[in-house]
Amino acid sequence: MEPGPENARLVQRAFWLIRLRWVAAISVGAGTFFCSNVLGIVIQERALYGIAILLTAYNLAVYLLLRHFTGARDEVPYIAVKRAINFQMCADLLILTVLLHFSGGIENPLVFYFIFHMILASILLSVRESYLQATFAVLLFGLLVVLEYTHVLPHHCLEGFVGHCSYRAGLYILGVFFVFASTLYLVVYMASYISVRLKRAEKAHIQANTLLREKDRIKDEYVLRVTHDIKGHLATIQSCLGVVANGTIGRLDEQQADFVKTAHTRTKKLTAFVKTLLKLTQLRLNGESQMDVFSLRDTVCSAVTGVKAKARDKSITVESDIQLSRDRIYGNQVSVEEVITNLLLNAVKYTPENGTIAVRTKNENGSALVEISDTGIGIPEDELGNVFDEFFRASNARAVEKDGTGLGLSIAKHIVERHGGRIWVESSQNKGTKLAFTLPIST
Amino acid sequence: MENMKILIVDDDVDLTKAIRATLESNQYTVVTAADRATGMERVKSERPDLLILDVMMGTWHDGFEMSREIKSDPQLKDIPILMLTSIEDKTGIEFKSTAGDPKWLPVDGFLDKPVEPDVLLAEVKKLLPSKA
Repeated sequence: MEPGPENARLVQRAFWLIRLRWVAAISVGAGTFFCSNVLGIVIQERALYGIAILLTAYNLAVYLLLRHFTGARDEVPYIAVKRAINFQMCADLLILTVLLHFSGGIENPLVFYFIFHMILASILLSVRESYLQATFAVLLFGLLVVLEYTHVLPHHCLEGFVGHCSYRAGLYILGVFFVFASTLYLVVYMASYISVRLKRAEKAHIQANTLLREKDRIKDEYVLRVTHDIKGHLATIQSCLGVVANGTIGRLDEQQADFVKTAHTRTKKLTAFVKTLLKLTQLRLNGESQMDVFSLRDTVCSAVTGVKAKARDKSITVESDIQLSRDRIYGNQVSVEEVITNLLLNAVKYTPENGTIAVRTKNENGSALVEISDTGIGIPEDELGNVFDEFFRASNARAVEKDGTGLGLSIAKHIVERHGGRIWVESSQNKGTKLAFTLPIST
Repeated sequence: MENMKILIVDDDVDLTKAIRATLESNQYTVVTAADRATGMERVKSERPDLLILDVMMGTWHDGFEMSREIKSDPQLKDIPILMLTSIEDKTGIEFKSTAGDPKWLPVDGFLDKPVEPDVLLAEVKKLLPSKA
């Protein structure tokens, strides 16, 4: 079985071929009308219109068949699609030959159109199949010329277009045939050469990409294992330091207490960092595990309530305007609440005293929109593009808080995107920041 | 009044030491066990007033099973269980909200490691039966 993308692309190209054929059918009809009515060339109008209708009917049948096959099954067998394209190419060459027969045979410059078919074959089919198509085209054209030459088939001379009929001019026929055949083979050779190289390069890219993704996964697993082990030790260190720092087992002198307290505080910060890193790594590896339908309104309210005390400590006003007529979200409520809480805590952290934080939610195009804006320090314009990057911290944020992890917004982005939503930031330095995200409403 | 007795079941003996110190300084009697089998033995022999239980000891679910075993024993089911764990960080699965579910996670309290002494003491106080 061939890989999926190759298969899907072949199906896509089969539809492309159908679209090209619609253009061909229309061109045959329009061309016939133009040649006979405007240019006054004597041509087999009825036969040519017939061919245009035949081409339309044939294309419609191919279209319906392909739709039926791709609609009925998720996986269309690669071989089947390839065979169908091969068959269509042969049919196209046959129709072009018949068209040529009714429009002047060897005298008609339409013979150049065989080149298009050769390029198409080189793109869609294997090299071997492309040469076979070229051979089939050469045989068809040769047969047409010979049959007309020998009067087995009547020759329809293009009166009014060529000076005299040349279907009996032996040397001319031989010359045209030789150039025709060599052109087709050369076109297939060149187009296949490019096509094969492109396919090979693409394959290499896909392989490299898969390898990179696999390496990234291994790295994440490594980070997960290491950080988890570190966290276990840290938890114990923190608990032991906590016992001493709290004076539970006896009082320390001032200097001793100061050192232990510092160690305790730093351990707490490190633990928080490791926990955040673990959360992010887990999200990268597994995504959300428990999904359920929940109310976004309740989640937003709960998050807002949760950070009110911290906002009050800095005399920051939190305004909320929650307008959600439909607020059912399918996802992990704890994670979504964590996103909102994180954004709110960021807003509190980076908004000076007496500032304002506004939380707005509304329904928009089948999604719920949550906006959290503040009157804080803002983000420098040239750093806006990086705020969702792992470990990135804006230069002015570092001045406000030295020990941030730089992971909060990348976790938020992961969570929102896992829920099928989008998150973005708007900010102007020293004026404020707006973080907004959408989540699809559950139906 | 006799001191309340608390059993800590955790395979991290250093952590157990720290928790023991915190609890003992608050006049609780502390008994410890480092694995599930010893833990079960101590629950039966000591009849603690509260059990502080880690989730991952021998296997990643020892603590879960031990809590179910205790809660399904009519003689032991009234002992409150405080689960103290870092399983959420390890698995990424959120357990806190399911704590108390009689079949899945029959525990009375759930705290993430590491826990600050005052948080632990508050939770312990909340869970201990009032022996008036």
